[in-house]
Amino acid sequence: MKSLRRDLSANPQAANVTSKVFVRSTKSGKVQKIVRELYLREDIPCSSKLCSQCPTIAPADANGNIAPFILSDRPAGTTAFPRGHYLVPDTNALLNGMDLFEHTGAFYDVIVLQTVLEELRNRSLPLYNRLLALVKSDEKRFYLFFNEFRRETHVRRGPEETINDRNDRAVRMVASWYGSHLQQSAKKGKKEKAIPAIVVITDDKENLRKCKQENVAALSLSDYVSGLEGSEMLLDMISESKDARDSKETSRGELFYPEYFSMSKLTTGLRAGTLHQGVFNVSPYNYLEASVKTAAFDKPLLILGRDNSNRAIAGDSVVVEVLPKDQWKSPSTKIVDEEAVTRNDNPDTEETEAVVTDRERKALQEEVKKAHGKNSDGKPQPTAKVVGVIKRSWRQYVGHVDSNSTGSQASGRRQQNVFLLPMDKRIPKIRVRTRQASEILGQRILVTIDSWDRDSRYPTGHFIRSLGELETKGAETEALLLEYDVQYKPFPKSVLDCLPSEGHDWKVPVSKEDKGWNGRKDLRDLLICSIDPPGCQDIDDALHARLLPNGNFEVGVHIADVSHFVKPNNPMDLEASVRGTTVYLVDKRIDMLPHLLGTDLCSLKPYVERYAFSVLWEITPDAEIVSSNFTKSVIRSREAFSYEQAQLRIDDKSQQDELTQSMRTLLKFSKVLRQKRMDAGALNLASPEVRIESEGDEVGDPLTDVKTKAMLDTNSLVEEFMLLANITVGSKVYESFSQTALLRRHATPPPQNFEDLQNQLSKKRNMELDVSSSRALADSLDRCVDPKNPFFNTLVRILATRCMTSAEYFCAGAFAESEFRHYGLASPIYTHFTSPIRRYADLMVHRQLASAIGYEGEDGHAVIEGVSTRNKLEDICRNINVRHRNAQHAGRASIEYYVGQALKARGEKMAADGVDAGIEEEGYVMRVFENGVVIFVPRFGIEGVVRLEDFVLPGESGARSVAERRELAPHRTTEFDSEEYTLRVEEKGHPEKERSVTVELFQKVRVNVSSVKEEGRGAGKRRVRILVTEA
Amino acid sequence: MSNQRQASSASQVPHLSPAELSYLYTSLSLPKNPIRPDGRSPTQFRPLSAETTILPGTNGSARIGFADGTQAIVGVKAEVEKTVLAADTLDSRSLAQHGDALNREGEQGSAAVSGQGEWVQMSIEIPGFRDDDALPVFLSEMMRESLVGSVAGGNGDAAKEMAGGLKGRLVINKRWHWRLYIDVLLLSQPLAYPLPLLSLTTHLALLSTKLPKLKSTGEEDPFFDDDWAAAEYLYPRSNTSKGPLSAAPSYPVRPPVTLLVISVGDNVIFDPNREEIAVADAVLAISVTRSSDSETLKLLSIRSIDPPSRLTQPGIPNSENVNMLGATAAPGEETGGQEEVEGVWRPRRGGVKRSVIARMVKTVLRKGGVGEEVLEGLEGVEVQ
Repeated sequence: MKSLRRDLSANPQAANVTSKVFVRSTKSGKVQKIVRELYLREDIPCSSKLCSQCPTIAPADANGNIAPFILSDRPAGTTAFPRGHYLVPDTNALLNGMDLFEHTGAFYDVIVLQTVLEELRNRSLPLYNRLLALVKSDEKRFYLFFNEFRRETHVRRGPEETINDRNDRAVRMVASWYGSHLQQSAKKGKKEKAIPAIVVITDDKENLRKCKQENVAALSLSDYVSGLEGSEMLLDMISESKDARDSKETSRGELFYPEYFSMSKLTTGLRAGTLHQGVFNVSPYNYLEASVKTAAFDKPLLILGRDNSNRAIAGDSVVVEVLPKDQWKSPSTKIVDEEAVTRNDNPDTEETEAVVTDRERKALQEEVKKAHGKNSDGKPQPTAKVVGVIKRSWRQYVGHVDSNSTGSQASGRRQQNVFLLPMDKRIPKIRVRTRQASEILGQRILVTIDSWDRDSRYPTGHFIRSLGELETKGAETEALLLEYDVQYKPFPKSVLDCLPSEGHDWKVPVSKEDKGWNGRKDLRDLLICSIDPPGCQDIDDALHARLLPNGNFEVGVHIADVSHFVKPNNPMDLEASVRGTTVYLVDKRIDMLPHLLGTDLCSLKPYVERYAFSVLWEITPDAEIVSSNFTKSVIRSREAFSYEQAQLRIDDKSQQDELTQSMRTLLKFSKVLRQKRMDAGALNLASPEVRIESEGDEVGDPLTDVKTKAMLDTNSLVEEFMLLANITVGSKVYESFSQTALLRRHATPPPQNFEDLQNQLSKKRNMELDVSSSRALADSLDRCVDPKNPFFNTLVRILATRCMTSAEYFCAGAFAESEFRHYGLASPIYTHFTSPIRRYADLMVHRQLASAIGYEGEDGHAVIEGVSTRNKLEDICRNINVRHRNAQHAGRASIEYYVGQALKARGEKMAADGVDAGIEEEGYVMRVFENGVVIFVPRFGIEGVVRLEDFVLPGESGARSVAERRELAPHRTTEFDSEEYTLRVEEKGHPEKERSVTVELFQKVRVNVSSVKEEGRGAGKRRVRILVTEA
Repeated sequence: MSNQRQASSASQVPHLSPAELSYLYTSLSLPKNPIRPDGRSPTQFRPLSAETTILPGTNGSARIGFADGTQAIVGVKAEVEKTVLAADTLDSRSLAQHGDALNREGEQGSAAVSGQGEWVQMSIEIPGFRDDDALPVFLSEMMRESLVGSVAGGNGDAAKEMAGGLKGRLVINKRWHWRLYIDVLLLSQPLAYPLPLLSLTTHLALLSTKLPKLKSTGEEDPFFDDDWAAAEYLYPRSNTSKGPLSAAPSYPVRPPVTLLVISVGDNVIFDPNREEIAVADAVLAISVTRSSDSETLKLLSIRSIDPPSRLTQPGIPNSENVNMLGATAAPGEETGGQEEVEGVWRPRRGGVKRSVIARMVKTVLRKGGVGEEVLEGLEGVEVQ
């Protein structure tokens, strides 16, 4: 039998079409062979300004413009490449050295291959996004070359060729093509000498060898960096994982951790329900204990010990396997700090150590004992171990170098391993290789984790940059912002270009014929005023009330009309949506919107006309709402009060002007509204916050600036009407956009969240906490009063708040209507509308409301974009939820830092007088551990761990240094009763009652607060030390 | 109705006169060396052109064109599917022990290895026929039957992989298997009975079929390598990389081929064309495959196909021809019309002799016989 085959070689078009074949496994388990056809072209430019050919062939847009060429005609040179060079990195070079490529000192004129970009996306999405950002920004001159689509540089995979080999070949192919292409097409007048070298950056030895064979200039990343200026710092920025990989090939060290399950085994287990997925959450009090909340169980699973947590880091999405019942334990009752337990670890040698050191093991043993003990609420809980990691959420971490870990021979330029202690206690210490150990000691530095291999006790990372000296304001503020992922860079030019060209001179148009007046009501004659915290510049809201002829009242809430200035999808809007919220630190505000808008054009400043978005209600004298109405408006605020000023004015009987009268009306209504809300079951929650009110006087005691938030009637006045406006607007936008309304919900917390608190209350105070509904909870919280201890009620409220979930933004289509409820406010629907200057959610809601009321905008067509696409909205919700939480944390951390610094300043002042006695304050016991307690000090809004040595026993002087006190710890012993929540501390061998201290939960104690220099993790940051002086 | 019958029969009956049929029959039934209309020897096949992997989107494909212009394309697609087991086989307890099961591969029960015939699905499309017409249904069942019925014995690595034949190869683990869709498309009108063409094309397509490489092991949910170049052949090959390129790969196990054989008188004729079939006494579809180690071929199935000659119009002997009445001797003498008259066409009725069938099978299976020749010829087609 004869057979023939069609011959395609004669077809001239055949070379232009090729295909890419791969296997795709879908989520539903289908496995498909996918064939993508590729049409090769010749009009993809090289984008070098040297080239005379490409500008003529590059594809043009509708206006005949071609994309500007990126690569410089005079690229920087190095000693090895004096004529200048373009870089062509391969995927591994980018994986290992992304920080280098982002560095502003070097790495300009880089050709990023499509092949490399795609490979990078498969390997690491965050790095891919960072590379894309580099390509988009102009200053670093990164050119994305679509080599797979250009006929000359397209590489067909040969038979038996691995994908990696093929991709390496593609990189070499591009390098050699660029070389010959520039040779041919360089503009006349440029001598051959001026043609830059094309340098391949690769760490693959085989690739380097082949480059040499094919006459392509190639260097490994470290070799290339060594040839640059300041190479020492740059070399530290290369990812560690590469070294680790190399060394592994040579010597296989001891494996400390069990291997992860294969991906397929994980998915099988997850589907079958034998494995569970969740986010790895490390306990803030015990770094060896973590919990994972899974969908299958009500309560989170415990993960105890380094072995079981198997290289997971706080925040990772992990897969866990439940351990057999005989290994179940109760959660720890001990405070375990990493640096206290592993103080003496040496970053260089670890071969001899087991992954769980004896000391760690001992710490765990004691917990097991506890689990087998008699205690009822410490029943053994299911424990689990990590068997796989679905997604790492490693980020950049701020910390400082552990001074104990730098070798004594730290002099010289030798590369050495040091430990970095992250600020976040839940992150394990990170091993960093550095050549500049002596310089970065005592500085806040930024590092990133590269890998955590089985043969390493600690993750390895690399140095990115130094933020400055420890404990300097700049470094600490930046550290805070980085740690909470707050975007703090100045607004780029593209954003500032979106501002009105008039700048500060912008005014509401005088003529009502002006298009700015389209659809706006003139409310300038209303007596409107604003009430805000003192010194507030970004005034979001203003109010008014007036009597209507029919005996009812008209009450109006007027909100800054930010959506007038921020048009959807322009750079300013995108920037704001990324930032999500304004972040308030003690001495700094990181704005969501540029200054011009936030503090001037949008801000409802007094005495000037401003655009506003108004909500107007008609209210009966009994505070029943007759109707509500929404309109864009123009207002003129008569006065901007602070809470105190407003309060004084209301209370001042001599003031009888109309403005004051309307404020009194508002106050009256707000009280009724509040009562109604409380009756509906709204919770009166408490947070331990304090305010820093710095009046700018350097001389005074900075501690006096620390103020607990005073609750005036006027605070509540504004709050009530803002709540009312939010609720009214929420139901209005939901009515119009049943799928896409942006709302805010507060989920009903599951009753088991309160179990611990309920136990504690009934044990210690014989009080009941009814959590069956928010109303019941509110009532039972009201009953939790201790006549001898007025703060007790607040303390319980703080603890109860922590048992709840946090409120979140969501898109109406994502939940059933019954799930919209805001638990804390006891409102069936809620949204954020009243602070568009500082919250992006409010801005979105403004747009939705404008569209809901048919506001047509200045130019006659309504802007409803961003209102209609649910996917986009859900992305925005996710982002602003995260940003919102981060902003809160950053704010709190900032206050904490301020308090610490204030205490330090005071301590230094006192020390000058001879005594550093600290400050005597009242404290309350919040949690009792086996070896310490957590104390809350309301005066400063701080809570701190009090260890054994920090108990001042009767007959002992409190004034001792940190070191001296530390000596005390081994001599002390405790008696811990986990059922009664009491802890008795005594000197070893002195069980006499009068020489011991007993503390119990909720107890009020006298404490001595001071700022002390800490060693270990807190070094330099200074810990706020709390001494219990009197129980 | 008659159309229906025609369709189920071996092919459309060519429009030949009884005299022509009679002539053809006579020359084909000449003892020892029959004379075929196109001058071929009884065992000679018509030349064909073939190529494989012509449809990039499929797991495997082939095209064969016969010289008479008939062409067929076959595409093979594979899909992962969950194996439905009896209710009690897989309870939560056995899932919990999963981890152990992973370490004890090879101890799997034979039930899981065997696979099921219904995992191979075949559909045949022939122009002018509906997909529920008898011909396509009959054809596909005939080919599928030999496919799933072929069980390779013997040993060797590759053969072990094929333990349980094609069905066994489709088993991924106890809970998952591949489902194979074989789509056969006849591009031209069915000039001759299309079975051999479709069978050969399917054979080639299956040889070129690849399945994604499995990365997971044991009883895990299947997880595959996303590199298509790493995919593995459905029918494993033993020497793909070694040796010169021209050397055809050797297959320890091959899919079966179905050959069409006819008998005319005492003669056995292969690869019959349409006219030849029209006068055949018997039409047989013989499926063979090569068992892995023994050099001999193995018979998988024999199906007899209703010969179209049954439906032809009989010739009328001169004695009965009204037009010839005057010339004949005895008018009114009944001949009964049943007996053979030399040179006059009578549709074939009744069975075939045992010895003829035995000879047919022997000619196919014999060492160096037709079956081997066909398989070798197909091996000559370069399968990428």
